[in-house]
Amino acid sequence: MPKLTINGREIDFKQGQTVIEAAKDNGIEIPHYCWHPSLSVSGNCRVCLVELEKMPKLVIACSTLAAEGMVVHTQSEKTLQARNAVMEFLLINHPLDCPICDEAGECKLQEYAFDHGYGESRFDEMKNRKEKRVALGPRIMFDGDRCISCSRCIRFSDEIAKATQLTFVQRGDRVTIKTFPGEEFDNPYTLNTVDICPVGALTSRDFRFKARVWDMSETKTICPGCSRGCNIEMWVRNNEILRLTPRENLEVNEYWMCDWGRLNTFKFVNARNRIDGALIRENEVITKVSVEEGISKTAQAIQKYKASQIAFLGSAFATCEDNFSLAKFAKESFSANNIDFIRYVDETNQDDILIKPDKTPNTLGAKSTGIKPGNSGLNIHEIFSEIKKGNIKALFVMEDNPAAISDDYKNALKKLELLIVLSVNENETTELADIVLPAAAYAEKNGTFINFEGRLQRIRPAVVTQNMERSLDGMSMSRLDKFGTKYDSWASGHRVDAQPSWKLISMLSQKLGGKINYQTAEDVFDDLVKSNKEFSGLDYDIIGEKGTQLDSFIKVKETV
Amino acid sequence: MAVKRRKNDLNILEKLYIPEIAKGMALTLKNMFRPRVTMQYPEVKFDPPASYRGRPVLVEEPETGERCVACGLCSRVCPALAIEVQAAETDREKERYPEKFEINMIRCIFCGFCEEVCPEEAIVMSKDYELVYTNRQDAIYGKDKLLVPVEELQDRLDYLRNFK
Amino acid sequence: MTLLEITIITMIRIAIIISVLLLTVSYLVYFERKISAWTQNRIGPNRVGWRGALQPFADVGKLLLKEDIIPSASNKSIHTLAPFITLVIAFSTYAVIPIGPNVTLFGYDIPLAVADVNIGILYVLALTSLGVYGITLAGWSSGSKYSLIGGIRSSAQMISYEVSMGFSIAGVVLVAGSLSPITIVESQYGWMWNAVLQPIGFITFAISAFAETNRLPFDLPEAEPELVGGYHTEYSSMKFASFFLAEYANMIIASALIVTLYLGGWQVPYIDKLGLGETLTVLIQIGSFFVKMGAVLFFFIWVRWSIPRFRYDQLMSLGWKVMFPLSLFNVVWVAVLIMLFNI
Repeated sequence: MPKLTINGREIDFKQGQTVIEAAKDNGIEIPHYCWHPSLSVSGNCRVCLVELEKMPKLVIACSTLAAEGMVVHTQSEKTLQARNAVMEFLLINHPLDCPICDEAGECKLQEYAFDHGYGESRFDEMKNRKEKRVALGPRIMFDGDRCISCSRCIRFSDEIAKATQLTFVQRGDRVTIKTFPGEEFDNPYTLNTVDICPVGALTSRDFRFKARVWDMSETKTICPGCSRGCNIEMWVRNNEILRLTPRENLEVNEYWMCDWGRLNTFKFVNARNRIDGALIRENEVITKVSVEEGISKTAQAIQKYKASQIAFLGSAFATCEDNFSLAKFAKESFSANNIDFIRYVDETNQDDILIKPDKTPNTLGAKSTGIKPGNSGLNIHEIFSEIKKGNIKALFVMEDNPAAISDDYKNALKKLELLIVLSVNENETTELADIVLPAAAYAEKNGTFINFEGRLQRIRPAVVTQNMERSLDGMSMSRLDKFGTKYDSWASGHRVDAQPSWKLISMLSQKLGGKINYQTAEDVFDDLVKSNKEFSGLDYDIIGEKGTQLDSFIKVKETV
Repeated sequence: MAVKRRKNDLNILEKLYIPEIAKGMALTLKNMFRPRVTMQYPEVKFDPPASYRGRPVLVEEPETGERCVACGLCSRVCPALAIEVQAAETDREKERYPEKFEINMIRCIFCGFCEEVCPEEAIVMSKDYELVYTNRQDAIYGKDKLLVPVEELQDRLDYLRNFK
Repeated sequence: MTLLEITIITMIRIAIIISVLLLTVSYLVYFERKISAWTQNRIGPNRVGWRGALQPFADVGKLLLKEDIIPSASNKSIHTLAPFITLVIAFSTYAVIPIGPNVTLFGYDIPLAVADVNIGILYVLALTSLGVYGITLAGWSSGSKYSLIGGIRSSAQMISYEVSMGFSIAGVVLVAGSLSPITIVESQYGWMWNAVLQPIGFITFAISAFAETNRLPFDLPEAEPELVGGYHTEYSSMKFASFFLAEYANMIIASALIVTLYLGGWQVPYIDKLGLGETLTVLIQIGSFFVKMGAVLFFFIWVRWSIPRFRYDQLMSLGWKVMFPLSLFNVVWVAVLIMLFNI
């Protein structure tokens, strides 16, 4: 491998890498605004200037190819002076409105001004004013004053989102960003520009002014919006999810996620229509009871049904652990064969970037953990036609909403003697249910999803329910979580009385004298690993933050 | 552990302790006959100088309302985590304002960091030291109690300009 | 005198001494607060009664109404017993301290002490040693580290300083040739006070008395900055008040002892030369005892608000390396005096 020297340290690099890439791979940070690892090189911000020996002038590290024997200095006096000068130049027209700006706390300009700036301004003329508060699109707000014209957002739209919607207009110090005439900045990936914008010029209209970044805890988890399974960070303050941001995983989503997933996969967790405690319908009167009581009522109601009279619906929205527990429970306590789950596929809503037609995060997971008809068991369509015929009298639904699929399904559900639903929110199906048990949402539990190409990835709890404790359950904690007490209004956000589905099923199995007795999601996964060859040799630590490709699905991966 | 030593060793008289103790006792004895400084609160009330750090308050401008832009720095710097700020958008030129601004006066330790960190001179320490509440809820002061017209705080604002 | 008469007279003397002592203790607390206020240019308690004169009763009332907390980690019976050991010992020490010469009342010759014991000084030393138990048991039984360390410190400190205290008293006993407090007082006729004869013994005794009563600068058993409240950290309500009371009762005893042993007790120099009537003389003598005691008490309080606390190792080295040799030297000094002048 060829070698070059940075700051006196000899490092290896791959042929064709630029200096900044070689440095980054070896843990040496060279400041940069316009350069982004997955975008083309623009070289306009000039902050990555470094000194090369035997070169008369400084060069920008982002567009200089690394070469054998090159000697680079990123901390020499010349480099520091140049960097200071660039910072001073950028700050001439940048407003000092960090207190108002949403980017404060994760702003590159702020960080570099702190690390590399002079600390005081020699500029006493009036600053340039540009347009503020421009709605570039339905989800993006633009502030011209703050823009440092790095062109990351323009290059992102052109190269990644493949939607040429943004451009620079004017020149010199009047340069600003606009959409093309008659265009709106509304492609499905616009919010990624908020993440890559090094300053607060682009802000999310959804998250604007909601919270300071340093007040939130961040949890590494997975977006449940489609079967891509984008790696995300979930940002929580006062037990409320405030935003999602993509997390780097070059195997799955690189650095991006779609706007739909970002805005629509967390609000139901915060929503007011959560199932909070178990609901029981007796003589058309619905009463709210504790989870324990709900479980014993369920056990009383369900135990009289024979295998042929009962059907179980798993869910591709639920984790592998939930589905595995359900399948095991159905077979152990009822010897039931009528097990299946509903597919949500929308061929019209997909693209070549991230969005997949399968709108559930865990279809492969549901299949491979045993949510499929057993010997001569009924599939999903047969289950509903048998319900209509009156042969199936009881239905156990986990984290799904069949009543919303069609009126046909809805009418079928009305014919049931007993409908038990494990649900996160109130919906059409819970309205018809005899017993509703409160299921924890994906943001409140540990578990695993298998994405469309067979990659097993972990979700982690970011929001606490009543029987969880942030500090004890090893969850991410913000400063407010660490020091808040129950008397502080900023640390006493609502906690839902809910349990993960696997836990509810485990409790139910105990009531019916079954053998399923899980304490943690990891117990379930270990049991799954023992009983299913596809998962052998895995545990939560091996899966890690970026997931692991299951060998049995490598063929699936090659075909897609 | 680092051992700290005196600059000069004690001389023989100091080692005896007794003369030094006598000096100290003479001092306290002298003080017994000095005038008393106690104020008979609540009959007599203390009128604090501008440098006094009483209850923190928000400055309210007559036309535009609060100066605060809800940046959250006071909340961040507060060592006792007494301040909660919830920002929201407004049509004013400074597009951010505090929808909710609460100080938990049970937590507050009157250190004045919030005042020092505030970029807008929007939160200052007032002269108000009479804080009474009978339950935890009453001790949480919202915007209704925190907003004080700017003219009442002129003293403190001048002090900050001159000395900080 | 018949047995009945002796019993009645003794009971009356006990009643008088106890009530005087209790009242003095509560007002001692009041004066402690007042004097501390004065040294700090403050006013001190002035709201309850005239100039705060009823403050002691308000304090007691408040303490009585407090919740009595017994920690769950404590040894309950000993935790309850400890404050009473301390209090009982503190009060019973007072039995042998004479406050005046013998008086003749209604035809009875009455010594002005509860008990005129001929080994009175030994009795005092024995009881003050027992006082360690109260504190050590309180510290041990509380089930708290702070209390335990406070208790242990206290026992180590008391044992160390008892040595120099004993040797200081030996000098006094040598001069008087008796262990009876009354004889000791009578031996200090005129200006022959022991404080004059043996100033070193006086100083070592006074300093040891500070250490024995856990007063500043030797209040390490309850050193607030490091031990919260020391042995009484886990006490509240009247049990706490008992410790509080005992501390002040001990202070009174210590000052009464200082007066008796070194400052001539009730003696007023050359009062018999003035030719006053017997009743008046006795009254003046009793009065002089209380004046002397009051001065010593003021000194106790004054020292507390002037001198900072010693470090523990300083306390120990002072006790063993300075006080102990000095008190030994004092015994030799007194012996030489007796030999030369045949006092």
